[in-house]
Amino acid sequence: MSEHAAPAVKPADDPAFQLPASLRGLQMPLLGGGLIALLVGMGMAFAVSDADMPRFGMSAYLVAFLYVLTIVLGCLFFVLIQHLVRAGWSVVVRRVAECMMIMIVPMAFLFLPILFSVFSEGALFVWTDPEFASKLHLNEQMWENKKLFLNAPFFVIRALIYFGIWGALAVYYWRGSVNQDETGERAATDRMQYWSGPAVMAFSLSLTFAAFDWGMSLAPMWFSTMFGVYIFAGGILAAHCVITLLTYLLQRAGALKEEVTPEHYHDLGKYIFGFIVFWTYISFSQYMLIWYGNIPEETEWFYSRQDGGFGYISIGLIFFHWLIPFFGTMSRHVRRRPGMMAFWAAYILVVHFIDIYWIVMPEARVIETHTVPGFGGPLGILASLLCVVGMSTLVIGLVLRVAGGNRVVPVRDPRLRESIIFENI
Amino acid sequence: MSETKIETTVHGMMAEFTTVDSLLSACRRIRDAGYTKTDAYTPFPVHGIDKALGIKPTALPWICLIAGATGTCIALVMQIWMNSIDYKYIISGKPYISLPAFIPVAFELTILLASFGAFFGMWALNGLPKFSNPMFTDPRFDRATDDRFFLYVDASDERYDPSGVRNLLADTGSDYINEVVEDDSPKEVPKPVFLIWGLAVAASLVPLICILTMRVTNSSKPRFHVFFDMDFSPSKDAQQVTSLFADNRAMRSDVPGTVARGQMEESLDMLTGIDVEALTMSDPPRVQRLVRAYMLADDEAKAEEKEAVEAAEAAPASVMDTTPWVEKNPLTVDAELLAQGRQQFEIYCSVCHGMDGYGNGLVARRAQSINAPTWVPPASMHQETLYADKYPDGKLFSTISNGIRKMPGYAGQIKLKDRWAIVAYVRALQKSQNASMDLVPESEKAAVEAAVADVKAELKRQAEEAEKAAAARKQTQS
Amino acid sequence: MSLAIPNGLDNTVERPGERAPLVLGETTYHDITEAVCKVAERPPSKGWIGGFLVAFALLQMLGLLIVYLIYTGVGVWGNRAPIFWGWPIVNFVFWVGIGHAGTLISAILFLFRQEWRTSINRAAEAMTIFAVACAGTFPGIHVGRAWLAFWLAPYPSLNLWMWPQFRSPLLWDVFAVSTYGTVSLLFWYMGMVPDLATFRDRSKNKYRRMAYGILCLGWSGSSRHWMRYEKAYAILAALAAPLVLSVHTIVSFDFAVSQVPGWHTTIFPPYFVAGAIFSGFAMVLTLMVPARKMLNLEKLITIRHLENMCKIILATGSIVGLAYGTEFFIAWYGQVPAEQFAFLNRAFGPYAWAYWTMVSCNVISPQIFWFKKARTTPWIIVVVSIFVNIGMWFERFVIVISSLSRDYLPSAWAYFTPTWVDWGMLIGSFGLFFTLFLLFCRTLPVINMAEVKATLAKQEHMAHLHGHGEEAAEGH
Repeated sequence: MSEHAAPAVKPADDPAFQLPASLRGLQMPLLGGGLIALLVGMGMAFAVSDADMPRFGMSAYLVAFLYVLTIVLGCLFFVLIQHLVRAGWSVVVRRVAECMMIMIVPMAFLFLPILFSVFSEGALFVWTDPEFASKLHLNEQMWENKKLFLNAPFFVIRALIYFGIWGALAVYYWRGSVNQDETGERAATDRMQYWSGPAVMAFSLSLTFAAFDWGMSLAPMWFSTMFGVYIFAGGILAAHCVITLLTYLLQRAGALKEEVTPEHYHDLGKYIFGFIVFWTYISFSQYMLIWYGNIPEETEWFYSRQDGGFGYISIGLIFFHWLIPFFGTMSRHVRRRPGMMAFWAAYILVVHFIDIYWIVMPEARVIETHTVPGFGGPLGILASLLCVVGMSTLVIGLVLRVAGGNRVVPVRDPRLRESIIFENI
Repeated sequence: MSETKIETTVHGMMAEFTTVDSLLSACRRIRDAGYTKTDAYTPFPVHGIDKALGIKPTALPWICLIAGATGTCIALVMQIWMNSIDYKYIISGKPYISLPAFIPVAFELTILLASFGAFFGMWALNGLPKFSNPMFTDPRFDRATDDRFFLYVDASDERYDPSGVRNLLADTGSDYINEVVEDDSPKEVPKPVFLIWGLAVAASLVPLICILTMRVTNSSKPRFHVFFDMDFSPSKDAQQVTSLFADNRAMRSDVPGTVARGQMEESLDMLTGIDVEALTMSDPPRVQRLVRAYMLADDEAKAEEKEAVEAAEAAPASVMDTTPWVEKNPLTVDAELLAQGRQQFEIYCSVCHGMDGYGNGLVARRAQSINAPTWVPPASMHQETLYADKYPDGKLFSTISNGIRKMPGYAGQIKLKDRWAIVAYVRALQKSQNASMDLVPESEKAAVEAAVADVKAELKRQAEEAEKAAAARKQTQS
Repeated sequence: MSLAIPNGLDNTVERPGERAPLVLGETTYHDITEAVCKVAERPPSKGWIGGFLVAFALLQMLGLLIVYLIYTGVGVWGNRAPIFWGWPIVNFVFWVGIGHAGTLISAILFLFRQEWRTSINRAAEAMTIFAVACAGTFPGIHVGRAWLAFWLAPYPSLNLWMWPQFRSPLLWDVFAVSTYGTVSLLFWYMGMVPDLATFRDRSKNKYRRMAYGILCLGWSGSSRHWMRYEKAYAILAALAAPLVLSVHTIVSFDFAVSQVPGWHTTIFPPYFVAGAIFSGFAMVLTLMVPARKMLNLEKLITIRHLENMCKIILATGSIVGLAYGTEFFIAWYGQVPAEQFAFLNRAFGPYAWAYWTMVSCNVISPQIFWFKKARTTPWIIVVVSIFVNIGMWFERFVIVISSLSRDYLPSAWAYFTPTWVDWGMLIGSFGLFFTLFLLFCRTLPVINMAEVKATLAKQEHMAHLHGHGEEAAEGH
């Protein structure tokens, strides 16, 4: 019922659907720069590791890894859920999410250092230290039981299962979507929709346990049933931000000028706003229940996040992860301005890093003696930042490489037209 | 401005359309023709019509935001004031101002007030409720809520001109165009409505009048009690009779196995001298006996049982004593306690055991002197078998309380704490016979040595005196 | 029932790139008005009268039982030490859960632009309000001295000289449930106003016209009104969406902030919310499948609507299943003996029958909805949805009773046995619910006519646009 006539879909080989040359040229610099930054950052992080922070080096790596992984998985979930609900509006931005999603393959290689770390006693996870139970005077029987889950071989098997599931899903949906660019068959969409239900279930289950394995088991005595949801909430929020930001950059560079409209930014903005609230809801519920119950084995985790500088981060998360972006993205006038949304997306991507850092880094301290967690001084902070910037840059370089070989929109998706003419109510 | 017909005011002109698209194109025509005071009436919201008619967005979101923020502030101030300032109390160790616990209510009130803002704000901005509307005068307008779309041009519009508007509307394809006139239907409300209204108001006043009447009138009749047993609880006073229990007594004794609060200052350990916890492991029946005897001795039957138990305690069944006695005096041993113990010992014990505990009290000496046939000589406190390592404090206490051999139990005569004081004093007596100077603290040494010197000097003096006296006797004999 | 659809089109099949119709047949706006208004305008059917009499009798029973309870005391229930939160709290959580579907359909699906909600949202919202009324009854009488329940309100009391305890989750509950009831009522009523105007304009009887005229506040359908109305509706939806999540979250706090093994677990908030949506949708399906048949609304509430709800049941049922599993895993992983005992006791203790009823009804039975045949066969839908209702009642039973019946001290262990009053009140609460629902069917618009008409308009518009698209595609 709009006044203007609906625009026609451009042919599949239109330059608007190609990665712009300016971005294409960035591939190698980003890949090279990212790799160097990551290596330098790791080197510095290991240099910072000392008696007080024995696991600082590997922890800095884990922060960077989890940061990128949660975003990649968030994008995978985004793609799955769009198929599950047969969404029409999102088709123009779906390829961006798909390019991020397929990064699960390089992420599997980037996981290798963490995988090897479990064979080196106490390098990252304290439960790999055979002396851990005796150092903390734990009940031996209890520790024996716990070791049935927290042991190196089983950890490796589980990691293989997780990456197997994610890799299979990502490759399946990537191929389905990319092949459709050539064939244009509608049945491909049907097939992807058909498998999206089981895919979402497999994804949820594996994400929950991966969060337990790689986040929660850093503090092996601590447990929270909500933890998987918490990791998911941060990841899906950051995924929407990455999609917004990359789409904005693509548009700035000249692609998708007419296809992605303020309507799509408006919708992405609503999701970003919604997931800010969701993250707050999950993290508040987790904190409140543990604070109120006040049982030592649970409060320990938050207690170590009130120590030292981490207390400021805990308080800061309330303001910077909730209040400021909450009011920032509340208005539709903001959500309908691509530049503003790109700013808020970038902002949240920074805050998401702080959230992951806050989850991982306090556990790098010496747990046995209840040392105050630290940041490793200016050098440690710089190292952590270099790691995450390096890994993100590396992955963005790979995304550009993948996007360069394909189109930046599913050009023959049957719902592309619906997406282009989409208008918010 | 507006053109008036005879007796009726014309408000404007309306045109009926059958489809959304024809309405929208008509709206655009009207807008482009420069009319501003226009409106469309549709059975459902038509998207794009605000652009087609040039309607400005609403300020409703701001109303909601302000209402919601008010809700948050009210909730936080209310909770902090009520629970942290006006009526402070600590619940489950939470601070007075526990923000996490105040969030849920703050959230709910935010939503509630923002919703009120949206709901009432919307009606207020729309000028509703407004039950009379000139549009309703046209019977065909009833279909505006069914399947017809109406476009309306107000007569107060600057460009309004009846024939021009009519032509323009006809040009857009409407097949029904009519002037909107003042509603001249009867204004008064039908009488039955008043009747029902009046009855409802009257009925709603009845309870209020009842309450008021009851508040202001006097009555000789007693008050009506809805929950009789809550106004007059069926409780009994002491010494009253009841049919509820077999013994007809309203006062009940304590439930077996319980002790009323404040009724037991001493533990069973202290009452018996036995480490009851250890005894629970080795001899539970005996613990039950002890509990019954010591803790429940509140009537005669129990008192008899207590005597029996005390007798049993006085005569251990086997020679090998396996009882886990209390090793250490439960009272704090200090000079005061020892003084108290000494006083009690000298009153009750010294008659047989002697002032120094060697078993040479007056009674013992007398019995020996008359060779009393059944006499068992009292034990000396200074034999090694009665030292603390062989004869623990608890056992000693038990012996004082329950007796041994010929000695009767003194539980009935000496108070509990006094008996423990005696135990402490006996230990002091025992120590006094084997003490060396090394045990004396440095600071006290001088005083003790002085005292010892005094005693020695005194003894020497006495001995000398005795020698002198003996020499004097010898001299007198010789 | 066959899948035959009036115009021969199966609208559960959706070709990618096209949208299947949500209103079937050659339906016009007027047909929609007729179909919905007729439900309330024609004389009541025998089935309606019979159903109403039964429901009303049950409601009377509930009333009498409440009088009996208040006059005698809470001892008439099966609640005994240590299970003081027995049957009434199970019923409360059950009904609050049912009350989540309405606002969820209205608010969250609205925000997600799921247009199929338009045919069912009105009935579901009505259900929400009636379910909240049922839910509110139970804690109200569970306080013991029900006539003093107003002490829960923070008012300046002249004889208590104190304030309520805002650090208690039970008080949060009071605020959450009453806010939820109020906002749901506003939302429901506001959505109904345009349809009440339709009722007004169709009324032949003067008094009927006046009554609906007052209820619809003089709605005229002005575009300016519609514009603000839609804005207000969107805002209310945006407010109701977090509200609906918060209500069951706070209900879950009642349990989770405590230290009772089996209650204190951080997954409770999202898990309760998923369970509430699950049970609410099951109740909507239980009611709507027979209702669409009896009220001749099959063109408006199509098989596609039912299929979509079945998918939501499948999704939420699986989330609930995942939560059960996570709880069990963390109980083991946490290595806290009390927690481990609580969970083993649930599954293999004296309440194992309740636990496995819950698992089979909630987790296993919805799995049949993986098959499209099951999702589109009305009788299977009704059977599964009733199973889910039963299962969700048992879920609350398992949580409340099994954890409370095993205190830390074995001397404080007990087995809960409901009394006839417990049973009577549960059944009577259904009487309250159905009485209100049947009255609603006869007096108020059961389907949101305005929104369905808007959906129809959009459907035609999209078909029109799509025609252009096809032509354009052919042009290449």
